[in-house]
Amino acid sequence: MSDILLEIHDLHAGIADREILKGIDLVIRKGEIHAVMGPNGAGKSTLSAVLAGKPDYKVTSGSIIFNGKDLLAMTPEERSWAGVFLSFQYPVEIPGVTITNFMKAAVNARRKAQGLEDMKPAEFLKLMKEKMAFVKMRGEFARRDVNSGFSGGEKKRNEIFQMAMLDPILSILDETDSGLDVDALRIVADGVNALHNDEKASIVITHYQRLLDYIVPDIVHVLKDGKIVHTAGRELVAQIEDTGYDVF
Amino acid sequence: MADHKIEAGHYIPTAIPTEARRIASGESVSQCLALKAGMNVPAMDFQLMEGASLDLTILAYPGFSGNLLIRVFLCGRNADANLRGAWIGRGSDKLKLDVEMHHVVGSCTSEQDFRGVLDNEAASYFDGRIVVAPDAAATKALQQNHNILLSESSRAETRPQLEIYTDDVECSHGATVGALDANELFYMRSRGIPEADAKALQLRSFLHPVLAGLDEEAREEFLSVL
Repeated sequence: MSDILLEIHDLHAGIADREILKGIDLVIRKGEIHAVMGPNGAGKSTLSAVLAGKPDYKVTSGSIIFNGKDLLAMTPEERSWAGVFLSFQYPVEIPGVTITNFMKAAVNARRKAQGLEDMKPAEFLKLMKEKMAFVKMRGEFARRDVNSGFSGGEKKRNEIFQMAMLDPILSILDETDSGLDVDALRIVADGVNALHNDEKASIVITHYQRLLDYIVPDIVHVLKDGKIVHTAGRELVAQIEDTGYDVF
Repeated sequence: MADHKIEAGHYIPTAIPTEARRIASGESVSQCLALKAGMNVPAMDFQLMEGASLDLTILAYPGFSGNLLIRVFLCGRNADANLRGAWIGRGSDKLKLDVEMHHVVGSCTSEQDFRGVLDNEAASYFDGRIVVAPDAAATKALQQNHNILLSESSRAETRPQLEIYTDDVECSHGATVGALDANELFYMRSRGIPEADAKALQLRSFLHPVLAGLDEEAREEFLSVL
């Protein structure tokens, strides 16, 4: 059996009539952590949005195969059920909906899609508690409204908490480091590292080296003007820090 | 020579309806009114005396159509009126809501928050007047009316009006008519919540400011129709 988890072939995509991704090819194998780096406006966030199925983005050609399935034929919720998780750069605030109720909806929707009964309340609460400890969130966190009034660091920790709850196969972290202080950055990175194993993969999208000091990538890509213009090992991160993106 | 003195507008006091419910000095009244199909609702008139408070919530269920009139007269200092309302209109439901908030004397507070969700051909008309009398200094009055349209053919009209005849007031109002936020919806779906459930959660969030103060049973019964 192939160890390829994600295969993107000649992907062209954009928003309205503007093409942003201009032919992306990318192969990710189980166990790998890939970093996608690039200047602002290169198409990094578009790539993550297209992978997660954001409706505003139109794929004009190319293909994405995830775990043997045609990802582009799936709705955002189906992608989540299949094991794709996108950590948002700007997590959305949902006042009036507690984290407990939000996660209950998410966890049970996936179970339903898998033909399973709702998780038993005691089992669910135990899972919540375990994963909250994982991102160092206190008990009262469960009763708070989703991201409502959260600091930047709390929002990102909440993303990693949800990631831990949903236990995805492919995690996409879109600029997860933006707006984080060192402590929050470490909690987030520790979480991502602890969730990683040989059967999973991550895509870390970032402008800066900072997060990649904590989440060490196997493969680094430079995305520029909608194309991957360079791919190398983790040593590329230090090189980019020295030279910037102009040399590519 | 013409008289150039600036007058305090043309304040015409509104007569307090004789049948208005009088809330005595220091008394608190709290009411939640569930409006369902076929119901007829009489005018809701209140007169608040010194230090009195009114907490009124109306919940209009799908199937309810009608004209509602709420008039509140703040006639004693330090009176406080809190009006909230939520409606879910479907089919050809039509809801018209007129609210008059009369600050007759000073040092009173009033808050209004009305939120509508309209689907199919449903329509709502909100007409909200806040009248602050010339003698009603140190008035605080807030008014919100927000509407979410779920279909092309649904409609919401909102007409907030402030009539202020004195300077020493703190008044604000906000009115919106819009659709569900697409980014919010995508966020929930990306966590595996199916589109229909995600929309219901969004509407729960939208109605939250109106429903937060209700007891859980009334709130959940209303939200269960989403």
